[in-house]
Amino acid sequence: MPLIAIIEKELRMFFRYPLRVFSAVLVGIVFLLQFVFFGQAVLGGRYSPLLASSTGIGDYPTYALVGYVLWWLSVSPMEAYVWGIRRELQRGTFETNIAAPIRITELLLGLALSWLIMDSVLMMIVFAFGILIFGISLTFSILLKSLPILLLSFLAFLGFGFIFAGLVMMLKHIGPFAQIFEFAMLFFSGVFFPLNVMPKAIIEFSKILPLTHSVTAIRGIFVGKTYAEIAPSITWLLLLVLVYWLVGYILFRWAERITRVMGYGGY
Amino acid sequence: MYAIEVSELRKSYPKKIPLPFRKVEWIEAVKGISFKVKKGELFGLLGPNGAGKTTTIKILTTLLEPSGGTAKILGFDIRKDAREIRKRINLVAEGERTLYWRLSAYENLKYFARIYYIPKSEENERIEGLLKLVGLWERKDDLVMNYSRGMKQRLAIAKALINDPEVLFLDEPTLGLDVQSAIFVREFIRKLVDEQKKTVLLTTHYMAEAEELCDRIAIIDHGKIIALDTPEGLKKLVKGEDVVEIRVRDFSVQKLKNFPWKLAIVREDVERGITTLRGQITEEDLPKVVELLVKSGARILSVEQKEPTLEDVFIKLTGRTLRD
Repeated sequence: MPLIAIIEKELRMFFRYPLRVFSAVLVGIVFLLQFVFFGQAVLGGRYSPLLASSTGIGDYPTYALVGYVLWWLSVSPMEAYVWGIRRELQRGTFETNIAAPIRITELLLGLALSWLIMDSVLMMIVFAFGILIFGISLTFSILLKSLPILLLSFLAFLGFGFIFAGLVMMLKHIGPFAQIFEFAMLFFSGVFFPLNVMPKAIIEFSKILPLTHSVTAIRGIFVGKTYAEIAPSITWLLLLVLVYWLVGYILFRWAERITRVMGYGGY
Repeated sequence: MYAIEVSELRKSYPKKIPLPFRKVEWIEAVKGISFKVKKGELFGLLGPNGAGKTTTIKILTTLLEPSGGTAKILGFDIRKDAREIRKRINLVAEGERTLYWRLSAYENLKYFARIYYIPKSEENERIEGLLKLVGLWERKDDLVMNYSRGMKQRLAIAKALINDPEVLFLDEPTLGLDVQSAIFVREFIRKLVDEQKKTVLLTTHYMAEAEELCDRIAIIDHGKIIALDTPEGLKKLVKGEDVVEIRVRDFSVQKLKNFPWKLAIVREDVERGITTLRGQITEEDLPKVVELLVKSGARILSVEQKEPTLEDVFIKLTGRTLRD
């Protein structure tokens, strides 16, 4: 199956260099520590009653760890399209792939899934590190209950990232533009601080970002909420999956038409 | 039925991204070319850099949308039946970076076998056969980044045969190769046509390569086909006229512009200040040419009559060499 072949190829190239894997894990951990200790310094300690009253989670490392891991995973498909396609263009292998009978959407989805798998592995390590180092209590039931929400989030993240797939084929170098989006998501989705401290317009805007609902839902599960209690977030996620896949696909087809006039290669 | 049928094919590139409501200038790279390639034929597109060869190949391999005209590959329309075409053709693109350097030869072929939907049961046998065919079986587990340029090109050809294509497109297949590798690749291409009855369309700017390999050649310049025939047929265009090579010292290229004869610089030895000019000059005109050259300040070192080559055809048709 071509999709499996793409994933196998990407994973093989990534894990072939242990130093690269080690460096990615290290970066993940360093950023996490920075954010957690900075947050604790601002809050004046690990536990914040203010945070507890506004989000339900008063323990800052738990709050930040969930947000951070999900943020990393949410930008993974976007990164796959932006940097993955760019790398194929730079390697000169993109046209070789396009010339094959595989569908271009399948090719791109394969790239995005590969990156999502790689980032999931990295984030599992970072998550486990965070759990151990900060002594966060985690039960098997929380993990199990989080899985469906995670899968739904992945679908939404993949759709959101797809918007960038067409753009990168057409414009070739949109890395800096995508980075603005990545950090905007970090800022506008309540990853490190509660959204209710933000102006009302930003709170409204944050609702169109899948990460906002993903973190709210998973944090809810962490404090023992049922699926019924986090239903609004799940509904939002379902809606955004549809919207982003549709918008992403239409935008991609439009960009692909233009790319076929200009050429895929020639980075 | 022809393997490739091209009629009035045109291609213009936008100078900027053609977004809606944006006025964009277009550059015409292919200006209405037509040709047909028979099944089992080795057809060459010969022309200098920027002539429109790669653009033509990209259109025929469905990588680029043409601006006008039609093209059919094995009876399939390039606009409507791209997927059907892709199943039946393959391409060796120009340059060495068309494979994954961080994968081994075997892993590369396995990957391409999968995206060409080769049945898993045939996969290993086919990869082994191809790697043995191009002489890379012993190095199958080495990462491609450790291969020489010639080995990479052999692997690129093996990759292009992974789906057993009926039509093979080769874009400058020997560009940048050492002499031995280039010979291997040329012999291999000829065998593909003679023994496996593949149809091959190759682009090259090496006239000797086109002459040696191709059954028929289309000479392309500035996006137009200016001549199309067998190598012998093309050379007849300069038969009856004497091809002369003149070696001169202290020659200035500016002086060629006012010359009434089509002479082209074929070699320049900058260190020794020697320039070699070549063109079709009749016996009567030769003394006048020599006189004009001497008057222009050049010193004549030798004048030699030569057998006509495809380069002479190109010089006759354009007044330039293929390297200009």
